Amino acid sequence: MASPYRDRTAEFRSLSQTLKKIGGTTTAVDQPNNSFVSPKPPNPASSRSEFNKKASCIGLGIHEASQKIARLAKLAKRSSMFDDPIVEIQELTALIKDDITALNMALSDLQTLQNLEIVEGNYSQDRVVHSTTVCDDLKSKLMGATKELQDVLTTRTENIKAHESRKQIFSANALRDSPFRQHAQPVTEPPPWSSPVKASESSQPSARRPAVDNAPSHHMEMSMLQQVVPRQENYSQSRAVALHNVESTITELGGIFTHLATMVAQQGELAIRIDDNMDESLANVEGARNALLRHLNQISSNRWLMIKIFAVIIFFLTVFMFFVA
Amino acid sequence: MKITALLVLKCNPDGSDPVVLATAMDVSHFGYFQRSSVKEFILFVARTVGKRTPPGQRQSVQHEEYKVHSYNRNGLCVMGFMDDHYPVRSSFSLLNQVLDEYQKNFGESWRTAQADNMQPWPYLNEALNKYQDPAEADKLLKIQRELDETKIILHKTIDSVLARGEKLDSLVEKSSDLSAASQMFYKQAKKTNQCCTIL
Repeated sequence: MASPYRDRTAEFRSLSQTLKKIGGTTTAVDQPNNSFVSPKPPNPASSRSEFNKKASCIGLGIHEASQKIARLAKLAKRSSMFDDPIVEIQELTALIKDDITALNMALSDLQTLQNLEIVEGNYSQDRVVHSTTVCDDLKSKLMGATKELQDVLTTRTENIKAHESRKQIFSANALRDSPFRQHAQPVTEPPPWSSPVKASESSQPSARRPAVDNAPSHHMEMSMLQQVVPRQENYSQSRAVALHNVESTITELGGIFTHLATMVAQQGELAIRIDDNMDESLANVEGARNALLRHLNQISSNRWLMIKIFAVIIFFLTVFMFFVA
Repeated sequence: MKITALLVLKCNPDGSDPVVLATAMDVSHFGYFQRSSVKEFILFVARTVGKRTPPGQRQSVQHEEYKVHSYNRNGLCVMGFMDDHYPVRSSFSLLNQVLDEYQKNFGESWRTAQADNMQPWPYLNEALNKYQDPAEADKLLKIQRELDETKIILHKTIDSVLARGEKLDSLVEKSSDLSAASQMFYKQAKKTNQCCTIL
């Protein structure tokens, strides 16, 4: 949104500076003038820049609002029978309306501010013209944005009406009522069919079997049932979903097998540990058995030594008895 | 999950009544006296839906408690009357199969048929019987079912492997206790052996 007005304040100021320098007689007067004027221009400059600031804010807001309206328009055009982003559209519409009302109020504030300024200071004609131009510009832009919003809303309502009428046609087409109605139906059906034809273009044959249907596809596009399109897409979509499920199940199974393999490997380690423990205990028991066997042998072969020892004891006893007795 | 009827019709693109080429109906769950009227009714509904199905389209229409699925391919229309539980995708794959089979058997002779052909086609009858279970008709469903069973079996396997792991854990503990006890036994035996040498 290129603004048709340009802020040439800086240029003007620099020009005035140069002119003042060229007209050198007034430099001495200009010093106090400048110091006197310089607090002053900030005042109107500040209020003017305040005006400018507000105007730029409003301009930015209008730009954002028109972007949102463009998005809304895209959404409204895109909406079809299935997956209608109704909630999103409504939210966006409400948001845009709020923005536009806020912008309206801000614009009216700006207008009053401008009038106040004009009344307050005796501004030059240029400034008055500039501010009025700015206000008018913003107003026209806001009106353009509002008009765009209106158009988008009208297209959206038309779409909804078309959907409703199509739904009605095809709910009446279902063989629910008496057979006699169906003979009366075909007369009215071709005209409503011709209107959805223009709205519904492609998207249908590509999803199904293109090999079979390429020849009658042109004939198909002329007499396409809108209700059948989501059905056929449902068919292929459901097939795609089923294949996807099968694939994910197979991947899961692979994961389960890997899990199983890990667990079995860990348990194999446990089995090896058990084996080692058993070998150790076997060795211990074997050693203990040998020791006990030796012990037994020693005990069994000890009798001879015990007789000898007892003999020695008896000998000492007799010697002892000889000494005492 | 029941198929009540399978029909093959020849649909004329000019919108006149389709010509019935083959039918297979299972009306055993109706009373004896209602059967003929039910058959007439099925034929009529099939003709109407066949007339309304443009070529190259699949269509599913809800009629009372049946869903009528129809698939029109180049003027040859095949229709199935199934109940609401029968999965739509399986029904369409079944219709595809019947269509291919019909074209293989009868070639292009159906194009010239003008009168209703009431001769039974045995393939259709046995198809009606075989495909009462949707898994038969739809390979995808069958594969999914088998995969689910395999998954259940694998889950059970993993549970039993976990139990085996627990048992192995207890075995490890017991064997380590045993080895400690045998070590104590060995030391004790050596000790008794050493101290009795004096005697």
